[in-house]
Amino acid sequence: MLWRLPKLVPRSAPVILLVLTLAAATGFAGVNHLVTRFTANQQARGRKLDVQGLSAASAGRYEDAISAFRAALTCDPANSQYQLSLARALRDSNDPRRLDEAESYLVALWQRTPQDAAVNLALARVAAHRGSVEDATRYYHNAMYGVWNSDPDGNRRRARIELIQFLLKKDAPERAESELMALATSLPPDADEHLQAAQLFLQAGDNSGALGQYEEVLRFDPVNATALAGAGEANYRSGNYATAERYLRASVNVDPQDANSRQLLASSEEILRASPFHSHISDAERNRRITAAFAQAEQRLKVCAQQKGISLTPGPNAASPLTTLQSLWTVTKPDLERLRSPAETALPDTIMDVVFQIEQQTAAICGPPQGTDLALLLISQKREAAAQ
Amino acid sequence: MSSPVSTGSSPAPSPQPITARTQIPSRLFSTLEGVFNEEVFFLILSVFIGIFSGLAVVCFRLAIDWMHLSLLGPLPQTHGWRLFAVPALAGLVVAVLVIHVFPGIRGSGVNQTKAALYIFNGVIPFRTAVGKFLCAALAIGSGQSLGPEDPSLQIGASIASALGRQLQISREKLRLMAPVGAAAGLAAAFNAPISAVLFVIEEVIGRWSAGILGSVVLSAVSSVVIVRWFLGSEPLFRIPVTTFKRPTELVAYAVLGIVGGLASVVFAKSIGYLHPRLNALPRWTQYLQPSLAGLFVGLIAFLGAPQIMGAGYDSMDQAMHGQYAWKILAILAILKILATTLSFVSGSPGGMFAPTLFIGAMLGGAVGDRMHHFFPHLTGSTGTYVLVGMGVLFAGFLRVPMTSVFMVLEVSGNYEIIVPVIVANTFSYLISRSLQHVPIFDLLTRQDGLILPSLEENREETILRVEDAMLAVPSTILSAQDYVDANYHRVEDSTDAAFLVRLHPSGWNVISREQLQRLFKEGKGELMLGSVLPKQFLPSLYPDLPLDSALRYVNNYPLIPVVNRADSRRLEGMISRESVFNKYGS
Repeated sequence: MLWRLPKLVPRSAPVILLVLTLAAATGFAGVNHLVTRFTANQQARGRKLDVQGLSAASAGRYEDAISAFRAALTCDPANSQYQLSLARALRDSNDPRRLDEAESYLVALWQRTPQDAAVNLALARVAAHRGSVEDATRYYHNAMYGVWNSDPDGNRRRARIELIQFLLKKDAPERAESELMALATSLPPDADEHLQAAQLFLQAGDNSGALGQYEEVLRFDPVNATALAGAGEANYRSGNYATAERYLRASVNVDPQDANSRQLLASSEEILRASPFHSHISDAERNRRITAAFAQAEQRLKVCAQQKGISLTPGPNAASPLTTLQSLWTVTKPDLERLRSPAETALPDTIMDVVFQIEQQTAAICGPPQGTDLALLLISQKREAAAQ
Repeated sequence: MSSPVSTGSSPAPSPQPITARTQIPSRLFSTLEGVFNEEVFFLILSVFIGIFSGLAVVCFRLAIDWMHLSLLGPLPQTHGWRLFAVPALAGLVVAVLVIHVFPGIRGSGVNQTKAALYIFNGVIPFRTAVGKFLCAALAIGSGQSLGPEDPSLQIGASIASALGRQLQISREKLRLMAPVGAAAGLAAAFNAPISAVLFVIEEVIGRWSAGILGSVVLSAVSSVVIVRWFLGSEPLFRIPVTTFKRPTELVAYAVLGIVGGLASVVFAKSIGYLHPRLNALPRWTQYLQPSLAGLFVGLIAFLGAPQIMGAGYDSMDQAMHGQYAWKILAILAILKILATTLSFVSGSPGGMFAPTLFIGAMLGGAVGDRMHHFFPHLTGSTGTYVLVGMGVLFAGFLRVPMTSVFMVLEVSGNYEIIVPVIVANTFSYLISRSLQHVPIFDLLTRQDGLILPSLEENREETILRVEDAMLAVPSTILSAQDYVDANYHRVEDSTDAAFLVRLHPSGWNVISREQLQRLFKEGKGELMLGSVLPKQFLPSLYPDLPLDSALRYVNNYPLIPVVNRADSRRLEGMISRESVFNKYGS
């Protein structure tokens, strides 16, 4: 032994403590240097593996990505970016057993930085994979109000859109609608953003919200075929067939290949042609439309009865709803003669009620109609909605 | 006290005349004497032992990681021939080093530390620490199925022993240095100070001793602080959500305990069977044993189970998060038993802590999965069973029931699973005890020709107590406040040779028949007995004291009173030399 500490006696204690303290400080510095170098080396190795993992993940090779991220984590176990990447790869690998592991990585990250929007978004997606509406909503909201490293407004908007899409998928349109309202107030002046919001409004069943967004798009781009078609569809769903016809016609003019718009346009035109309730048509025209609708209803009734193999003549099938409707139609038919009488102000409604009953019940029994019958059915639905 | 510090000896008197200049250091030294007695210094030293051990363990872990990455690369991406070539070649190097350079590092670090405590007066050569560091880092880093905890424990003990020898502290304290260092090393390796303290008390020291507890705790805590400073405070595993809701689920954990207990027995018996047989083979085979073990481990890895290489903490982590099907978990447990048995008995330096946890984790996961399959209403996640399984093997294989419970709690940071852990560990421990009578560490020491004490044996020893040798309360008890002649007349009909005397207001004395007779004949009959009795302190004993404590008195006094703890005037009985010796002889 080249040197020796003094023997431990009270006198030498301070010297010994001093020597030990110096030795500890030296050891600390030495180990610190070692750990720093080792860590730097490991981090460099980890970065290479992370790049490999990211490229594998972006190519959809999740097994390779998971392997690379795991290896990166063996080099730098505390690296939250690698943990996040691994968690994402585990989540996206479509193996339900891996969701637990993904979640545990993310929860550990979340516990360290609960305000980290990227971690919250990843957790929200795990919850969405699991189908948990409550958890997903909570984490999506955390992501929206969390800290983003870049483009916070855009990222928040995208997170909200993702939440809306998830809620629509989970059949929760009311929740989706409230998120959509918040989204509508935060949209930038950009046609694509408004277009996306409008389509989400339409999926959520909020036609007026969708229309508002389509109109915003049309302010930026008046010949945007998608917006014109969407505005037409939103108006059509709302029962505003005249406006719908205008938008749909414009849409078809811009994009003649748009089959959906063409179909909706045809339906709108049919409704406008068949409806006796337009205020700007003459009495004669109104009466003509009522008479035509009444005849169309009988035709529909016969076709439906034939389709179902039911005889409409009174007899053993008298209990069938179609037979009852036929009887009602027969009883009402003489009233058509009194349509011209100015005193019979309630008669048009009475006759059209019979038509609507026939159209609704045959639709229930024989399936959705086409052409004029569809137009009459939609008119009936609009009337009912207005009455309510 | 025989220690050089606590003898209270003052510094040698100065021949110089006392002046103002010499008074200051004299005062300083006398103050230092008061502050730095050996007890206090030992506590301070424990902190330094913790710091040095922590630094060494940090380096050790870096060395293992560096070896692993250099030799095998990041494990999930390791492919091909390296999986079996590296452990085989590294085994050859390790064998040469162990045989020619560091012969003292062969075997379990726990037992070597115990041997230092009980046989070698606390001496563990520093060379052992160096050898253990290098060879264990190479063996574990190259993929041998061993853990870093046992070598860390021995490195800590070795550092502590070297420091104690440097400071020339008393032999009594030097003996205790090794366990203090062992606790520091283990705490640093596990990042779990409580478990390390308990393990050292349960397995190394073998008894609860208040004298050393403070030092062990201080060293363990300071080493953990150092490790966390450098390597972060991340737990060894990402702990899953653990739940325990219905007491009926304890049945499932009991099943896990039974399976774990049986696996512990298989594991221990495999090591116990192979260890002496491989040791008995010709010396030249010892060059090949670690290499062949490495080759075997590498082949298992090559054939599809690389998880069994090294300590396996990453795989435990994945098992905890449901990454493996139950069949894979069960196969991994079996393969790990095989691989660890071969790695350990081949003489490769490394520990069995991590492999034990690995086997327990895999078994726990497999049992948990099956339980969920057959009883879907169970709420405990697979991760919970994995955690409990770790404790189960710890309790059954290492036979440290208390450490096993605290280890799981400390690692998981979750108190909710304490009941499942206790239930499962109890089953495992009892099964292991009934099927494998000698605990693994004791078995290994005996096979190496050493007999070291263990807490398990101590627990089972029958302790004789004072009440076992106690004689009934005598019919004649003399009073110190009575006259001598009155007392003399009271004993005339008695055949006893000595009598207890009740003192006033409290205490006891003893007088022989001859003494009393002599006093009476000397005409002191009208004196009070208390005034003529020789002034002596007669100790009292309590019925629950160990009988050993009576031994120091029975030669000095013919009778010793045994009194009630709540009322020292109330006599419960008495003991004599004959009654004590008769009890020991029976």
